[in-house]
Amino acid sequence: MTSFMPRAQHRTALILFPAFDWCISPTHPEREERLLYTRDQLIEEGLEDIENIVFLNPELASHADIDRVHLCAPSSHKLLTESHLISAGATLRVARAVMDKEADKAFAIVRPPGHHAMQTVFGDRGFCIVNIEAIMIEYIRRHYGVKKIAIVDTDCHHGDGTQDIYWNDPDTLFISLHQDGRTLFPGTGFIRESGGPAADGYTINLPLPPNTGEDGFDMVMERVVMPVLDEFKPELIINSAGQDNHYTDPITNMNFTAQGYARLNQRLNPDICVLEGGYSIEGALPYTNLGIILAMAGMDYSHVKEPDYDQARFRQPEEMTRYIAGVCDKALEVFANRGKTKQEALKKKVVSERKSIFYDTTGFNVDETRQYHLCPDCPGYTEVTATSPRARIHAFTVPFNACPTCQRTARDLFAATQPVAQTITALQDRVADIYETK
Amino acid sequence: MIIGIDVGGTHADGVLLDGARLVAKHKVIVDQAHLSETIIALLGALVPQDHSQLERVHLSSTLATNAIVTGNLDPVGMLIQAGPGINPDFFANNGPTWFLDGAIDHRGHIIRDPDPRLIDEAAAAMRQAGIDSVGIVTKFSHRNSIHERFIADCLGSGFSHICMGHQISGLPNFPRRVYTTWLNASLTARFAQFKRAIEHGLAHLGVDCPCHILKADGGTIPFARAIEFPCESVHSGPSASVMGCLALAGHPGDAILLDIGGTTTDISLLVDGIPLLEPYGIIIAGRPTLIRALNTISVGLGGDSTVAFADDGFRIGPGRSGPPMAQGGTTPTPTDAMVVLDLLAVGSAEKAAAAMRSLRPQEPPADTARLLLTTFAERISQAVEAMIDLVFSRPVYTVSALLHRHRITPERLVVIGGPAAALRQNLETCFNLPCLVPADYEVANAIGAARTQLTAQATLYADTADGRVSIPEISCLEDISNRFGMAEAELKLEQVIRGIASDMGMTGSPAIDFLERLEMNVIRGFETSGKILNLKAQIRPGLADIQGEQP
Repeated sequence: MTSFMPRAQHRTALILFPAFDWCISPTHPEREERLLYTRDQLIEEGLEDIENIVFLNPELASHADIDRVHLCAPSSHKLLTESHLISAGATLRVARAVMDKEADKAFAIVRPPGHHAMQTVFGDRGFCIVNIEAIMIEYIRRHYGVKKIAIVDTDCHHGDGTQDIYWNDPDTLFISLHQDGRTLFPGTGFIRESGGPAADGYTINLPLPPNTGEDGFDMVMERVVMPVLDEFKPELIINSAGQDNHYTDPITNMNFTAQGYARLNQRLNPDICVLEGGYSIEGALPYTNLGIILAMAGMDYSHVKEPDYDQARFRQPEEMTRYIAGVCDKALEVFANRGKTKQEALKKKVVSERKSIFYDTTGFNVDETRQYHLCPDCPGYTEVTATSPRARIHAFTVPFNACPTCQRTARDLFAATQPVAQTITALQDRVADIYETK
Repeated sequence: MIIGIDVGGTHADGVLLDGARLVAKHKVIVDQAHLSETIIALLGALVPQDHSQLERVHLSSTLATNAIVTGNLDPVGMLIQAGPGINPDFFANNGPTWFLDGAIDHRGHIIRDPDPRLIDEAAAAMRQAGIDSVGIVTKFSHRNSIHERFIADCLGSGFSHICMGHQISGLPNFPRRVYTTWLNASLTARFAQFKRAIEHGLAHLGVDCPCHILKADGGTIPFARAIEFPCESVHSGPSASVMGCLALAGHPGDAILLDIGGTTTDISLLVDGIPLLEPYGIIIAGRPTLIRALNTISVGLGGDSTVAFADDGFRIGPGRSGPPMAQGGTTPTPTDAMVVLDLLAVGSAEKAAAAMRSLRPQEPPADTARLLLTTFAERISQAVEAMIDLVFSRPVYTVSALLHRHRITPERLVVIGGPAAALRQNLETCFNLPCLVPADYEVANAIGAARTQLTAQATLYADTADGRVSIPEISCLEDISNRFGMAEAELKLEQVIRGIASDMGMTGSPAIDFLERLEMNVIRGFETSGKILNLKAQIRPGLADIQGEQP
């Protein structure tokens, strides 16, 4: 169009899929109404008519796309509704838009979210069943051969699912900025959580104190996120664009703003954004989503301000600034020391980790053990055993960047394992793109 | 009897219909500078002897479109309240604009009232600049029109025309509302002048029946209403053509309509016999608008398109460079191919053959002509496919809509325009669909104008948590109880649309379609605090029933 409409500097593809007919339960934060006001704002702004902004419809992800990432019990067919396949499918569609150069950047504004979904899935955790970013990343790796990817998770809750999935992958840098786990679900995301034996230092957690505002986020971006990304040199940057750090969010305690989110996004310059949380559906989401879109598109976002926005209200105290500076220093140290533990681990050959995973929606625990079989040539294959009150998973997983020896070993072990009642015995081979159960 | 008149770029066609029967047709050359004279001349040739038999005159005019294209518009001062969002500076590119403060949010809540001093300053500046026509638009005025009306009240009676965004359309999209309001305001004086001239002409002919204006959405509005919303008369040509096809083709089901002209082919789609509408409105002179319009696309493929041949095949259009070679032109065209194949009898067959030889010197002209027409049909088919794809990819917002959407699968082609008959066989083969070329297609547009009936659309937004309902098209903003539900909302909107229709002189009880129906619980703090209801309904574009005749 002409000068009668503003023009986006970057070709930006958007999927806006509010799923007005889906909810976890009628009064749950993850309900039909969640993206209503966001839709209303984006449409009223006339984004559909801006040159270089294109709206796409989502598609449905296939179960193979899910099984490439997750180990589901009883199965992905049984756990996922069409809504989940659509929200995951939307990320695949935006990924294709960027990878096929239909667009320079893309943003999937979809629900339900995904960053609390771990590799093993027994049900709904933190409003998520499957990890839509991870499903997208493995799809991109499978179909476009991309190796090094960075995920920057700016949701207020620690992206524990994404961390879990990429825990032992040195080709995926996971950075999470979130409200300190001592004060918020899921209670994790401390600096010491820094990656598995083959990928130590590639998980970087930045737990921020309650009430952190624009200054704190600016500092973290400037001191940690940008320098670390510059050094890691990812081929793609993904933003898990949760918006619940907002000062009006009802289930968190931060002081971030639409201006802050837009500026963060402009600085981060991600290839793809995926909406995660954000439950201030009237006072925040219409403005934060618009701010992020305009920043991605390279447009002026200076007028995107909440009706009650007042920058002076959120000046942070000196003490908080000093505390956040300390968090930044420690996080930088984690990254500086990356890869050092692998040499030690290699001597042991197998490293075992055990954890308990709480499923908050229905309230049960899963006991999970992972045995990392280390390899000098690749991150190695992993043997996973996870037990919920109702089901058990016993799986051999081969990462996308595994060497042929590790791949063969995992396959042989799977073949030699006898099926057990009530247990999903699985082989997840991302190199060959095979998911098999018995 | 009804007279239908379609004013095109060079010719104006008129028909006199008795029911569906064509009683008379007439064609004149258009003088765009003296449009009303052209129309009156045409009317003079068509008015039946017994004037009392004439029920209505339906007019599809280029007045508004020409005024826009030539930039011959009244100066308008725009008063805009943008609130938070995209930087609104770009609106100033359109002309004199004053930005006001204050804001209304996405739910129609007032964030801050506008400062009356800024409004006074703008009013003074407009008077100083000799601006007499004003457009007022606030963001989210379709949810709450209170600021637009407040600003209009502040201006008082100091300006001849004041147009407010909420009256123009209840649809979202602020930039489109701004441009539509601007366009409407800038056409008001000119349109009033046109109305006077036509009415004078009709009186002179001794005719006193109502006169209706054709709109871009395949419907009409009475002159009296068009004077308030002259922007609706923009771009009515394609809608005359679509409605004409509909009138001539009977009930075509899911169909592709093609109007093949000299330079372009206009494509439109029918779903179950109903023409498809644009989601928001048409784009006029680079400005996206909320002017309701049939979804038509125009591709640069016509009988007189320039043709070249290269290794990768024919290049057809998008431009034309003079007449076909058969008629003395210098570049080969699809028309030349039609002449070579005896599908069309114009100009010189030898020159047409020479045109084919100039494209592929080694091949017999008939082979080249056949290949060219096959390619021509293929290109049209590709454009149709792309359009169907585009319609299919319109955004949806619910799981159910996404899972149940279906791609249009046309059952037939209806083709009008000069080369229509000559291309019938090619199109039939290429689309693999039956292809109808109706009789009298040369006056399809005028017939379409004559046979078209009133259309209307309105939207309703109710928020029971706030206890308020808004129907912007009639400036309705009323209190409602928290029990107000979908059934009441539907009833209310139906009544409003029937009211609009009966104000426009429609008799009988038209069918009303609900195009959108959204019902959403508003939850605050884990409690339901109310409901949001959002509805859109219309009297769909269609042909007026003919009394005493079986369809």
